[in-house]
Amino acid sequence: MTKTRAMAVLLGMSATVAAAACGPRRVITPAPAGRSLVVLLADPDGTVGRATVSNPGGSVDLVGERDSTEAAMNQAPRAAGALTEAEVQRMFGEVLAALPPAPQRFILQFEFDSDELTAEGRKLLPEIIRIVTDRSVPEVDVIGHTDTTGTPQSNVALGLKRAASVRDLLVKAGLAAALIEVRSHGESDPLVRTADNAYEPRNRRVEVSVR
Amino acid sequence: MHARRTAGLLMSLLALALPAAAQPSAAAGRIKLASGTASIVRGGTQLPAKVGEVVFEADALRTGTDGRLGVTLKDETRISLAPNSEVRLDRFLYAPSEGRLAFALRIVRGLTAYVSGRIARLAPDAVRLETPTAIVGVRGTRLVIRVDEP
Repeated sequence: MTKTRAMAVLLGMSATVAAAACGPRRVITPAPAGRSLVVLLADPDGTVGRATVSNPGGSVDLVGERDSTEAAMNQAPRAAGALTEAEVQRMFGEVLAALPPAPQRFILQFEFDSDELTAEGRKLLPEIIRIVTDRSVPEVDVIGHTDTTGTPQSNVALGLKRAASVRDLLVKAGLAAALIEVRSHGESDPLVRTADNAYEPRNRRVEVSVR
Repeated sequence: MHARRTAGLLMSLLALALPAAAQPSAAAGRIKLASGTASIVRGGTQLPAKVGEVVFEADALRTGTDGRLGVTLKDETRISLAPNSEVRLDRFLYAPSEGRLAFALRIVRGLTAYVSGRIARLAPDAVRLETPTAIVGVRGTRLVIRVDEP
């Protein structure tokens, strides 16, 4: 509870000042304009990322779950410790509830040296359509990817070709073409990092992102 | 140096650059959740922020005392606003095949939740969240931010 903690610090400081100045005084704690509280939360899968909060005064790394920091004008960010789950819910429950549902991503692989989807890939098509119909404002990106064999330019074209073939399959299975955007990331967005000109079947894929 | 050739090269570079600059920016995402008073501020014009509405780079999102907004961007980044909040999507560039990635979100006031997307995964250094008093760099993560009224 950073607010309480900050109050406690301020009260402690003002008590010292008040004692020195002989006699209690009313404590005014102005809320400085633009003061920011940043809290790191765990990802939906339970892993905790990292964040760095900085300004000209300095910087604070957030590394643990519900780790927080406060930054005020003309002051370095101050590490404010980990909030409790209850504090996060009280302060941020409403805004967290307003997050749209998490996008879902499906990976479709191709048969060896072919434009044919694997049996597993074909089985995903009805599942994709089911997820799309559950969304209030569905958007579907069909993204073609390649390995690093060949030039980056030719791989963008190849990725587009693969994505278009999956788009056609989705439309044939009943998905409205207007919801689908076909993209290619070529070799720039691999599933598995490799050196250049590396044959890697896992990177030769189409990803379908449902938002 | 061949001045004329240099000038010619400059002209062709300009010719390449100009149509791109004149193009309207592509959609950055869509509003997926909206309730109460909520608006998109685009070039000084305030538009109602309804479910399904497209969000562009440079748009600001603003909620009133009863407003809530949830937005999903093309790279799967998600953003939400509580009542009395405002953010601006200063920068959104999602073209991985061209190696062009950028994301900058300014949190002007109120409460915001942010869940990182593909831009943060592909190029963490291309992502920045700004508040009036700090800059937040992310490494694939979920954050909540509160900015006190200026």
